[in-house]
Amino acid sequence: MPPDTRGDRRPAGFTVEVTGWRALAAFRFLTLVYAVALNLDDLGRVHSPAWCVATLLVMAAWSVVATYCYARPRLRTTLLFVVDLAVTLATVLATLLVETPERIAGGEFTVPTVWAATAVMAWALRWEVVGGLLATVGLGAANVLVVDGQPTRGTVHNMILVLLAAIVIGYVAEVLRQVDRIMVDAWQEQGASAERDRLARQIHDGVLQVLALVKRRGAALDGEGRELAQLAGEQEAALRALMTGGSAAPSHGEVDLTALVSPATVSSSIELVAPAEPVMLPAAVAKEVAAAVGAALHNVAEHAPGARAWVVIEDEPDSVSVIVRDDGPGLPEGRLAEAAAEGRLGVVQSIRGRIRELGGTVTILGEAGEGTEVELHVPR
Amino acid sequence: MYPGEGRTSDAAGRAGEVPAEPVRVMVVDDHPMWRDAVARDLATAGFDVVATAGDGAAAVRIAAASRPQVVVMDLQLPELSGVEATARILSADPSCRVLVLSASAERPDVLEAIRAGATGYLVKSAGAAELVEAVARTARGEAAFTAGLAGLVLGEYRRLAAGPEPAAGPALTTRETEVLRLVARGLTAKQVASRLSLSVRTVQNHLQNVMDKLQVHNRAGLVRYAIEAGLDEGS
Repeated sequence: MPPDTRGDRRPAGFTVEVTGWRALAAFRFLTLVYAVALNLDDLGRVHSPAWCVATLLVMAAWSVVATYCYARPRLRTTLLFVVDLAVTLATVLATLLVETPERIAGGEFTVPTVWAATAVMAWALRWEVVGGLLATVGLGAANVLVVDGQPTRGTVHNMILVLLAAIVIGYVAEVLRQVDRIMVDAWQEQGASAERDRLARQIHDGVLQVLALVKRRGAALDGEGRELAQLAGEQEAALRALMTGGSAAPSHGEVDLTALVSPATVSSSIELVAPAEPVMLPAAVAKEVAAAVGAALHNVAEHAPGARAWVVIEDEPDSVSVIVRDDGPGLPEGRLAEAAAEGRLGVVQSIRGRIRELGGTVTILGEAGEGTEVELHVPR
Repeated sequence: MYPGEGRTSDAAGRAGEVPAEPVRVMVVDDHPMWRDAVARDLATAGFDVVATAGDGAAAVRIAAASRPQVVVMDLQLPELSGVEATARILSADPSCRVLVLSASAERPDVLEAIRAGATGYLVKSAGAAELVEAVARTARGEAAFTAGLAGLVLGEYRRLAAGPEPAAGPALTTRETEVLRLVARGLTAKQVASRLSLSVRTVQNHLQNVMDKLQVHNRAGLVRYAIEAGLDEGS
């Protein structure tokens, strides 16, 4: 079994669940530094420097604890979010102990300043837009309490900024989670499809066996039995070509010529002969060669109905050859020249044209009774 | 796998006839109807079908007991793959020969079986007459070449020649390459012979040599692997 069908390599929410919380931790510490700098600068003017320092210490301690907890999915419980918001609101309310009512009314910042927005962002990441709005309402209420019901223009302005951040982050979290789900689905689909391919292979092999058997046993019957056998043989050839065709998907601009030619050889009277390894050619070249092979096979069906045909792909170091041979009546002497004179060389000319464009050569061999061989030779 | 032996058993039969002493054949296929059909066809043609097996592991066990001269081997087998079973049967009994008969084997799998020592490959869509002919040929120690097999072998020699390190075994002669290319185009040994103005016997010898040399390559590869893996000591 291919190893990649196992489900343990699924990317468990690598967008929001990992990077989201990391970004939040970074924001928390950056804003902490800003808040500390702002408050220390103001320490001489505040009502209670002791409360100010105490609040900053609580913020720093909580930043460490919260970052540790948010980084661990197991600890990222509702309780953590509630405590985070509670601690934040408490630091905002602590402003009442630190500052005088006059300074607050004068438009002074709260102690945590933008650090307070971290909890709102956490809620937005967790419960998306709704969570962000709820946390914003909480933070807004605390701020209104601090200004004693008289919001300053600064308070309103800051709350609107927090509100916008909550909406944007909540929305982004939602979208990223959807992307996560889609990727996980795609991942699982990939695994399931590999497993289906494996099962299909077994089933196809069984069907193939039965078809081959019908063809074999029916060949000994007559009338309808023989007809059924022939039909089974055609289907067997088609299914085998499908199963053993390999992938004609381009990789690095190159495709496997064998896989590309394979569909044209779906017939019990055509045998595709090729090396075990893919014969890689630039996609455009392979397409032209495959088209030329198709034209040659069409020619066989037209001029030598009922003949067997072989398509041989030879992979040489500096060139690729494809030979289309049939065991039909072959070309009577002068037949090609005659056809050319009558302007009936359509197929041959189309083959020659395609291959000449690629810098290759076409050789047509055939004697009466010896079948016909069309050899396409394309340099690498 | 063992050059030379094929030619010593030359007296066993000529021109596709089953020799007086019936050839002991074993049929390995997980599909009961197929197994029976192949066994019946071979028995009708005068072969002595000494055993049949439905999976690779059973094939290895039963082959050890019934000592077939030719094993007709499917590749898609439960328990142990046809390639693995081929390798084990041949290492237990080097005089045995394996003909691969597969419904849907991918080219790399067939090549693996040839590397493991199988000397012939036939698709299941081949008719009963072709199968009988291939088994008779395999029993005589000749390589049962089809166009498909010739293409694979040709590809393998080219891969060996293009490899980064010089191929450890002998390369194909110009004549052998010529013969192989014509067989790959679907020509019969007789048609190849007339095109190259050779006898059919010579064409068949060339094909035999091609297969023998490939086995030399494979054994050289195995020996190198054994040395690298430190398995050569004491053996």
